[in-house]
Amino acid sequence: MSAQDQEATFRRWLGEHIGLMLKVVRGCAASPQDQDDLFQDVLLQIWSSIPAFRGEAKETTWIYRVAFNTALAWQRGERRRRERHELFVKFGESPQAQPSHLDAPPEQEIVERLYAAIRQLPKVDASLALMHLDGLSYQEMAEVIGISENYIGVKLNRIRKHLADQLKGAINEL
Amino acid sequence: MNFEHLQKAWQSQDTNAKVTIDADVLLKEVRRNQQQFRATIFWRDVREVGVAAFLTWLFLHWAIRDREWSLYLLSLACFGVGIFMPADRWLQRKKRAAANAPVLSCVEDSLIQVNHQIWLLKNVFWWYLLPIQLGLGAVICSQFWQARHAGMAVILGLMGYALFCGLLCWGVYHLNQLAVRKSLEPRRQELEALLASLK
Repeated sequence: MSAQDQEATFRRWLGEHIGLMLKVVRGCAASPQDQDDLFQDVLLQIWSSIPAFRGEAKETTWIYRVAFNTALAWQRGERRRRERHELFVKFGESPQAQPSHLDAPPEQEIVERLYAAIRQLPKVDASLALMHLDGLSYQEMAEVIGISENYIGVKLNRIRKHLADQLKGAINEL
Repeated sequence: MNFEHLQKAWQSQDTNAKVTIDADVLLKEVRRNQQQFRATIFWRDVREVGVAAFLTWLFLHWAIRDREWSLYLLSLACFGVGIFMPADRWLQRKKRAAANAPVLSCVEDSLIQVNHQIWLLKNVFWWYLLPIQLGLGAVICSQFWQARHAGMAVILGLMGYALFCGLLCWGVYHLNQLAVRKSLEPRRQELEALLASLK
């Protein structure tokens, strides 16, 4: 793959899948500084992985794998390895989404609580929760993680219950 | 509220609206990071191999000049250690799973790497300290033998030098064991827990 193709693919993935990358980053790191640090690592790994991409796996599967592998290897609070000249991403204020009906809690608030609940999960469960919330099939999750669909089903049952329990109290507060 | 509601709320988030991205800056930074990372690895290897090569050459040069057998031994020890480190790293790098491998494979691979690192540091005496100390010991013994008629001051000086080498060896060994306890063992436990949660 030429350098131009690599750059073109990277730009396209950035345009199409930046949301996916940011969700993984926010699901694994809490503070803005950690998020930025992890995001840099994820982007670097994705950039480096592009020459090996042959289209055999779906792009989302590929990006999830690289992002999760990076997030699992990343250790919070580790010494910043790189001198940073410019911030990669400027995280703005969370826009408050409009509630779907008057009695419902603001959806953005629910999402924030979900991120907080996901960060409390063990790392692998957090990865599964992020993919499950994004609507990936069991087969796709199995391809990303490398475990059987049955086991994913068992784990997701527990994760769903845990998140619902965690969020129930929080949503009552809202 | 059930899980489907949570999922709906999740999927309704507009992640793109929360970030401002300049793709050109981003690309420049990613490239710079990659170059920096490669440069760090390259210069670390050059430093290690360079120091070993320089010491090998230096002791060899002195050995030939002075016809001193113990310096040949020290030169050989430096050469062996200098070859071992990059060769081991190269072999490990070849075995490493790609960043796009399934998470399970990457965790298994990381555990293998950490275990290998622990093995290396726990055995630092055998592959690093012992060869160097044998070389240095041979040089010191040889100097002792040659200086046996030179007076107490020279002998005391050599004994001080031997003590310094011994202490340095002890310090390096304990520093490596500290790194194992403080950094690698916790990482190994973390990876084992991760692996257990995947099986």
